[in-house]
Amino acid sequence: MKARLVLLWLAVGTPLLWGTYKTLENALKLFQ
Amino acid sequence: MSSSFLDRQNTVAGPGFDRFMVPPAALAVHLCIGQAYAFSTFNLPLTRLIGLTQSAAGDWNLKDVGWIFSIAIVFLGSSAAIFGRWVESVGPRKSMFVAALCFAGGFLVSAVGIHLHQLWIIYLGYGVLGGCGLGIGYISPVSTLIKWFPDRPGMATGMAIMGFGGGALIAAPLSVILMKHFTTATSNGVLETFVTMGVIYFMFMMIGVISVRVPAEGWKPAGWVPSAHPMKLVTTANVSVDVAWRTPQFWLLWGVLCMNVTAGIGVLGQASPMIQEMFSGKVTTTAAAGFVGLISLFNMIGRFFWASTSDYIGRRNTYMVFFLLGILLYSLVPTFGHMGSTPLFVAAFCIILSMYGGGFATIPAYLRDIFGTFQVGAIHGRLLTAWSVAGVLGPVLVNYIRQYQIDNGVPKAQAYSVTMYIMCGLLLIGFLCNLAMREVKAKYYYQAGAAAGSKA
Repeated sequence: MKARLVLLWLAVGTPLLWGTYKTLENALKLFQ
Repeated sequence: MSSSFLDRQNTVAGPGFDRFMVPPAALAVHLCIGQAYAFSTFNLPLTRLIGLTQSAAGDWNLKDVGWIFSIAIVFLGSSAAIFGRWVESVGPRKSMFVAALCFAGGFLVSAVGIHLHQLWIIYLGYGVLGGCGLGIGYISPVSTLIKWFPDRPGMATGMAIMGFGGGALIAAPLSVILMKHFTTATSNGVLETFVTMGVIYFMFMMIGVISVRVPAEGWKPAGWVPSAHPMKLVTTANVSVDVAWRTPQFWLLWGVLCMNVTAGIGVLGQASPMIQEMFSGKVTTTAAAGFVGLISLFNMIGRFFWASTSDYIGRRNTYMVFFLLGILLYSLVPTFGHMGSTPLFVAAFCIILSMYGGGFATIPAYLRDIFGTFQVGAIHGRLLTAWSVAGVLGPVLVNYIRQYQIDNGVPKAQAYSVTMYIMCGLLLIGFLCNLAMREVKAKYYYQAGAAAGSKA
């Protein structure tokens, strides 16, 4: 159950982190 | 996949099930349907299907393409209101599955529309079918999450609804990457991107369909005992959806959501030109795009932060903060513009947009406090019509007032001042609606057996 829980969170967390990173990368242009 | 797998009775969690499996299941759906907020990345490419690099004769114009998103939002609100009770009765797995079929199907039907170059097919595909997927998908995990987390309903629903904000952060760069990848000498890659996204989103939403569970009857978190003295404005009774929408409380909450969303949505749509016009010569187009990214990030973070905070300070107090702080910040924005202070301007809008997202994420828990858990998903569905209204009202207020000011000789840098003060007025209405909130009278409470209702 624990492994499934970790996998599930990874499945949704990875794209969310990627999207956040790409947005942050774009947002930093405001301060350049 | 047999139909029985989708039935509610087959989604009841067994002993030892970890309730923290449910938020990622909900996120799997919301991260996909949140793509809607990034649909504008397709607007320009859709106007260049024939000309490829620029619009040519026979290409659609931007105004007509803009209707795709508007139709989708109208159908989001309508389908959430119409199918809310069905979602409650069939449970989260079947409703998530139907949402996946509609949302992914919307992309595929739209791809046919692109292939045949028929805009009405895209209206029907992404707008109507996809819009129904948005509405059903948006409300499908809400009631389940509230039942799994009676001790922290704000945090649980905030996590899922944060996914809707996060979905745009994923979809915007993903769409650009896919369109670039599929671009050829004869195609700008939109058709192929629609097909790919339809398939990816269907598969991703299936993670939610497979993982979601409902708690067994009478289940409670280990060691959790409902307070003998619940907080003010937190009921232990239930109100059915058909009765709830006839109570003043429903319409006060409708006003609260509508005003909070109206104040944020217009700014969100006009953020890029607004910062460029208010700080003419100081903020470039690239920097303005960074500003849009930054407020989108705060929109997402605010959903989780404010909804979680509401578990501790109470739902009404949370909205009091939204309205009072919102009024203060909106009234200061013109001053920040006159001062030429970009950091203060950006900081104000980051907080404002966090409260915009927070308003969406906190409302399911507020509904649960006022109407109980019985049909909270269906009531939430009906309340989302406020979003549809705000989706029209917000942009109209910002765009038309700005244009009116410019037409009357007001410099562009100052054309937003009146709009900001009107936003303060809208927030004041929301504040008064929130202030008037009282507990629902006992005569409206649901009595088991007195009326047909869905299973809890």
